[in-house]
Amino acid sequence: MLNKIWIIATKELTDNLRDRRSTILSLIYPLIGPVLLGCLVLFVGSTLKAPKVEEHVVVAQGSDNAPDFVAFVREQGADVVETDLVDVQDAVRKGMHSSVLVFPENFADTFGNERNAEVKLFIDSSRLSSIMSIGRTVELINRFNRHIADSRLEAHEVDPEIAYPLTMKSVNVAASLSISGIFLNMMAPFLMFNIFIGGVYLAIDATAGERERGSLEPLLVNPVPRWQFMLGKYIASLIFTALAVLTAIVAYKAIFSSLGMLGIGIKVNPGLTDFIFVFILCVPIMMMAVAIQMIVATVSKSFKETQTYLGLLPLLPALPGMIMVFVPIQPSAWAMMVPTYGQTILIGQLVRGETVDFSLMAISCVATTAVAGGLLCMAARAYNRENMAFAN
Amino acid sequence: MIEVRNLRKSFKDLVAVEDVSFFARDGEITGLIGPNGAGKTTTMRILYTIMRPDSGQAMIDGFDAVTQPQEVQRRIGVLPDNRGLYPRLTACEHIRYYGRLHGMEKNALEASIDEMIETLGMGEEADRRTKGFSKGQTLKVALARALVHKPHNVMLDEPTNGLDVDSSRAVRNMVHAIRDEGRCVLFSSHIMSEVQNLCDRIIVMGHGSVVAEGTADELASMTGQADLEEIFVAIAKEESEMRKKNQLDALKEEIDAE
Repeated sequence: MLNKIWIIATKELTDNLRDRRSTILSLIYPLIGPVLLGCLVLFVGSTLKAPKVEEHVVVAQGSDNAPDFVAFVREQGADVVETDLVDVQDAVRKGMHSSVLVFPENFADTFGNERNAEVKLFIDSSRLSSIMSIGRTVELINRFNRHIADSRLEAHEVDPEIAYPLTMKSVNVAASLSISGIFLNMMAPFLMFNIFIGGVYLAIDATAGERERGSLEPLLVNPVPRWQFMLGKYIASLIFTALAVLTAIVAYKAIFSSLGMLGIGIKVNPGLTDFIFVFILCVPIMMMAVAIQMIVATVSKSFKETQTYLGLLPLLPALPGMIMVFVPIQPSAWAMMVPTYGQTILIGQLVRGETVDFSLMAISCVATTAVAGGLLCMAARAYNRENMAFAN
Repeated sequence: MIEVRNLRKSFKDLVAVEDVSFFARDGEITGLIGPNGAGKTTTMRILYTIMRPDSGQAMIDGFDAVTQPQEVQRRIGVLPDNRGLYPRLTACEHIRYYGRLHGMEKNALEASIDEMIETLGMGEEADRRTKGFSKGQTLKVALARALVHKPHNVMLDEPTNGLDVDSSRAVRNMVHAIRDEGRCVLFSSHIMSEVQNLCDRIIVMGHGSVVAEGTADELASMTGQADLEEIFVAIAKEESEMRKKNQLDALKEEIDAE
């Protein structure tokens, strides 16, 4: 029996390895996710990478009116550069400078009289790449403010601490810092997509395609129970899917490692064991995905109809992951019962370098495997339908 | 030995086969003849286990196609109406795949493959992928994979449909060889002359039932026609008149009842 199933599976594997479409879906498509993620990290990482406060350059207009400020900034190791722009707003909007600090004509008088002097900071908050630079300028203004306030209070013999009732220190508890967490969260939905795409061509070709070519009817006359034909084709699709997921995981590992070496964006570089666990978590979903593909390919009327349904399918399991990229959800037992949802949470935890509860992993694997088993039985039943052998 | 008893099969409202009974003996070529839609393919499909009848029995060597499909499948070689190939596999790989599904031993299988290639004269294309094969080449591959396990019962659904002269002759020679080995051949066709030349016994089907059976001579004396084509036309005409008469009778009864 096993022998017959294996004969069918190896035939499908040989057949599809010779098919460009199948191999592209299984070996090239999975690279899209990692490469895209790598490019995003590189791009955003480099735009967000601003010099330290000590190396920051404040672009200012009318800085002649504020020699104390210029001196203070230079004392801090940063610098002030005067600009002679006619239209400051326009220059900032066009992105020529990330921010411009403007000192009014009367600044020197107001400041010298120890009155509250107004300065204007022109920024464009819609420009993501300016955020860090603006922050540096604001930081320098705040430092200057505090420095002047301190010296003025001391001159009046007042303890400066009275003026600052609160001191805030924020403690960041994230294992991965800043933006890199969001990128790592994207890996799970990308993987879900790979799982539902990796072996789909083989699944369609081996059932709907074979029926349309008229080769299914003679095949089913061979002395093998129908469910064994189904299982042989199922195993071949599963192997292609696993190949796709493995390709993706190896590519993620390679890209995260090289980004880690470049020192950009990614602060946490998931290790080999994390990736092995990611693969183990993916196996039950692969089993489920291929079972769904087999059912759809069997009950659909044509190759095209199957392609339409199965083309939309990958979006569904990727959806919760897409939302979780921005709103991470706490793992709970009930969430683990939901196929693809539980895995998305756990894969996110694994790649972010958090500790993962193994009992939750077990619940997720068992629950999804059970669903896959049920679907596989349905696929076997669909294969037993009398009219499944004929295209019309 | 192939035997069909009171077979009936319908698709929704359409009755495809109605109370069909016949047998095909070993060492004989039995022709199943009839116009398109006569129920030949449906009967064959039930015999080779792809369809289940509503009622009646289809038996191969005493095994029931419904209750013992695997026993039946082991004893038959089938060339169905659908005879598609895998364009990315070679001709040899097709034959080997079916042989392995029949559980053939490696040496016996390879010997049988060589024999098939030799008999069907497909030496040149044996190791070529089947993409772009002509109708004749496709048929040879489909025949070879169906017969590689040397089945005792052979069913061929319209085997020479759309073939050139050479390929048709190759099929006829093969069918004769199988018969001469004492095996059973059931052969469906709507080409009268072919059936007349090839078959030992002929079963004429029309509108889902058997309308006549016998040797070509018996059919000729039955209808008073020498040519099978004429015989067929005569039978079809007779049958259609019967049908019309039955319908008229039914109508009359209805009118009388009202």
